[in-house]
Amino acid sequence: MGDRETGVVTLKVNGKEITVREGTLILDAAREAGCHIPTFCYQATLSGVGSCRMCLVEIEGQRKLQPSCVTPVMSGMEVKTESESVISARQAMLEFLLSNHALDCPVCDKGGECELQNMVYTYGPRKGRYAEVKIRHHEKDYVLSPVIVKNSNRCVQCMRCVRVCGEVVGRGVLGAIGRGAHQEETSFLRSYLDCDHDGMCIEVCPVGCFMRRPYRYRARPWDLRGSRTVCPYCATGCRMTIEERDGEVVRSIAREGEGFNDKMLCARGRFGYDILNSGGEERLTTPLIKKNGMFEPVSWEKALSIIREQFTKADPRRLGGIASAALTNEELYLFQRLVREVLGSGNIDSTSRWDAATTGAFIFATGITGGGVSIYDCMEAETVFVVGGQVSEENPVTDYIIRYVSDSSRKSVLVASTRAMKLDTSAELSLRHLPGRLGALFNGLVLTLYEDNQERLEGIKEIGVLKGRTVTDLAAECGVSEADLRALCARLESSGSISMVVGTDLLRFREGISGLRLLGDALRALGKVLKILPVLDRCNQRGAWDMGVHPLFGPDYRKVERAGLGCDGMLDQAMDGAMDALYVVGEDVVNMYPDRTFAEEALSRVGFLVVQDVSLTDTARMAHLVLPGAYPGEKEGTFTNQEGRVQHISRLLEPPGQARVDLEIIEAVGSSIVHGFSDGTPQTVFDEIRREVSMYRDAAFSGGSPDGWLVKKSARRLEGFELIEEKKVSLDADPEHPYFLVTGNHIFLSGSLSRRSGILNELVREAVVEISEEAAGELGVIDGQTVSVSGRGFDATYSVRIRKGTPREVVFIAENFEDKAANRFYKRGDVVPRVKITA
Amino acid sequence: MNEKKVKIVKRDTPGALDLAKKTVFLDFIKGLSITLRYNLSRSITIRYPDEEKWIPYPRFRGAHTLNRDEEGRELCVACELCVKACPTNCITVVPMEDDTGKGIADRVAKVWEVDLARCFFCGYCEDACPTTAVRLGRDYELACFELDKARKTKEELLKPQSVPEDFEGGIIVQAKLQRTKSGIKVKPNLWKKKEKK
Repeated sequence: MGDRETGVVTLKVNGKEITVREGTLILDAAREAGCHIPTFCYQATLSGVGSCRMCLVEIEGQRKLQPSCVTPVMSGMEVKTESESVISARQAMLEFLLSNHALDCPVCDKGGECELQNMVYTYGPRKGRYAEVKIRHHEKDYVLSPVIVKNSNRCVQCMRCVRVCGEVVGRGVLGAIGRGAHQEETSFLRSYLDCDHDGMCIEVCPVGCFMRRPYRYRARPWDLRGSRTVCPYCATGCRMTIEERDGEVVRSIAREGEGFNDKMLCARGRFGYDILNSGGEERLTTPLIKKNGMFEPVSWEKALSIIREQFTKADPRRLGGIASAALTNEELYLFQRLVREVLGSGNIDSTSRWDAATTGAFIFATGITGGGVSIYDCMEAETVFVVGGQVSEENPVTDYIIRYVSDSSRKSVLVASTRAMKLDTSAELSLRHLPGRLGALFNGLVLTLYEDNQERLEGIKEIGVLKGRTVTDLAAECGVSEADLRALCARLESSGSISMVVGTDLLRFREGISGLRLLGDALRALGKVLKILPVLDRCNQRGAWDMGVHPLFGPDYRKVERAGLGCDGMLDQAMDGAMDALYVVGEDVVNMYPDRTFAEEALSRVGFLVVQDVSLTDTARMAHLVLPGAYPGEKEGTFTNQEGRVQHISRLLEPPGQARVDLEIIEAVGSSIVHGFSDGTPQTVFDEIRREVSMYRDAAFSGGSPDGWLVKKSARRLEGFELIEEKKVSLDADPEHPYFLVTGNHIFLSGSLSRRSGILNELVREAVVEISEEAAGELGVIDGQTVSVSGRGFDATYSVRIRKGTPREVVFIAENFEDKAANRFYKRGDVVPRVKITA
Repeated sequence: MNEKKVKIVKRDTPGALDLAKKTVFLDFIKGLSITLRYNLSRSITIRYPDEEKWIPYPRFRGAHTLNRDEEGRELCVACELCVKACPTNCITVVPMEDDTGKGIADRVAKVWEVDLARCFFCGYCEDACPTTAVRLGRDYELACFELDKARKTKEELLKPQSVPEDFEGGIIVQAKLQRTKSGIKVKPNLWKKKEKK
């Protein structure tokens, strides 16, 4: 009884005494004590159902065996996990499961890594007595989604798929139909409804009920050679293993205990691996030089000598480099050294979408220099405020973690976004605000806080700018009802600890950052424990900033003596004909810059454009010289995800033909100009990073914890971004074009890289425009219908997708479609373009 | 080691009897008579490959064959267990999906290859096979001039065997040596049994 106060319980497992936290399940306690208990239905991240009965244990004093996965420990309990009755119960259970199992292991894709197989080999009876006809749900496997194949005859009814679909993915597509032995876990009418196609059901299924369609009958697990890598499709940075057979990558898989994401991956991560196989004309395999408007192959020596000649003769101020945030830390670090030290230029950027001052302010406001913040630490807070982005679609696994942690621990989740979001169903309160009005929302919150706690917030100078404003007009400005705004504020005020999950809308709309900083300051002044998790969309965006691939600061956020130009500035200068040379690595400027026509025009005026990429992108087509680079699966290095987690990626395949790893290319370019530039191995460059960047001082290159390593607080303070001027985003009425266009990443796509994946393209066959229910009603269109969307300078046809809960005036087009690129709707300087839709 | 004792046999001086034997070539006749006797008796060697061939017992382990069921469907489901069981790594199997009813399941072998130059005919593949698709047959004429020819593909292995499964074997039958451009073959006539003593 004395244990109650201390919150710990002492019990005996197989005679061994252990002490665990109160409320621990017997299963976890036993595993802690080193006793293995077999399970099917138990999964740490899911709710307990106790349906498989494999984990039965004997408890002294209780006549019946108890399922350990749903029974919490009690003080003085004596648990036996290997007693005679337990062993015979396990055997009986397995015999029972096998009595209605298809037993088609030679055909089943799971054969060789099947939990039921392993269990029967370890614990099972070696013979069955059941001789009747087995229940068959269907004769042939059926296709549940373009990526999932289903065979219900193998089901052991553990319900993991149903639970993961509802509790983690948040879709609830799967359910159990029927009762008893006739129960089948499937979707309504065996159609895929609103499926996210992330294949979580495949990963959690202990048997071969759910199978990957692209991997169907391709290999056995023992044929595969794998390497641990990080998903390149967003900054969540999920750990995964890509596996190849005969030089072809056949699957990517996330395993429990191998990374912070355990088995979680989204559709992109789990099915987008086939970009590595995309060979043929798509993939660049040799350097190309443009002669008379046509590309011709050229040798590396010749290519490098041309680069040396062009780069050395150019004026450093008329030179520049843009590196993609999908490169490794080592490549980005070396690239920034190349541009700054070798070429002597300060013009460098890691994105073509956002402007330099805004990203600087964003880094300052979200406290990125303060070191890494684990998402699980963020989820410890009482309240989680998701704002400024479409987490559910841009970073699906971040969304899964928020959902399952908050649902299982009854946290309050608050959502503020421009469009309806999947996370709404888990949220206590979700608001829809107008695009480009986050500043007003944050200010409204600050003002409400200020009204209630005037004396405590008096110390914050910047609140002065809000004098004269009222909560009512700020709420009206951002298109939220005042009552909702106040309710949101009340939630924040009543929580002792708050985590803010902040998306990239602040960067896209170039506003709201001062508001975020003000809100952060106000909440801290009120004594709240505040953590901010930036949610980014390029896999190594945070690493790119840490490495100093930014015109306004160097590695470790060191102030640069002379600020250079960002992508925006470089294109401006190019437009004036004052760019002699530009070195673009992996970034598709033409498709990503918000105003495609301008970007094309500017790039065509660059004196000498070098593009290094894996395939001939629209930007590469404009280049004078094209260098063939490599995909993440072909190189070694580290990525830093949005949390600041440094994770090592290893090499699985060799780049094809004469293509080379980007690090080697950057090193070769550097060495061709300055002798002994670097030796260009990932390990030595990483050692250099550890010396130069204080945040990475103690980081390990490879090995270490499977969860990666969180960067430390920077020794330096980011300066110069405390105050930036924010232009108010114009949302004036335009009767001609009644809808606001919002862009972002599609749930199945990220950047232009994912468009090269055949499997992902199968999920998104055509370019889609997402509109609200109200707008659909006005236009009289239905889901899947083709409509034409016209902006002020561009129009195209899209397929309609109706999204319930999105405000009437908001229209969404993903940034990923190259043929109908969303950036064509933008005129330079536009933040929220207006469009018209006609059925 | 013991020293080998060399026995010195003293030859007797040739006598009159010896001389007589030599004059009538007695030893010569003795030897020739054995030759003559074998010449007339039934031969104990098999006139392989020109006229005869030995057909092994069903348990013989020769070159691999892939079997079909009564309806002509491929029995192999490309489960790759033979590959896993093989101690010499001489089998390659790549599965694929085929819904046309070609095989007994929708999983069939896209590639099923065995390198007979590496195989040592242990028969583990046979034991591992859950569908009795792979059997070691009774073909033993495996010599070839190029190593590539020792790799047998699925198409070759699926052809009916020269000796049917239910043929008893353990006998010598009449055969014919065939020289073709692709090589030499000894074609048995299973129904012309050759009795041997």
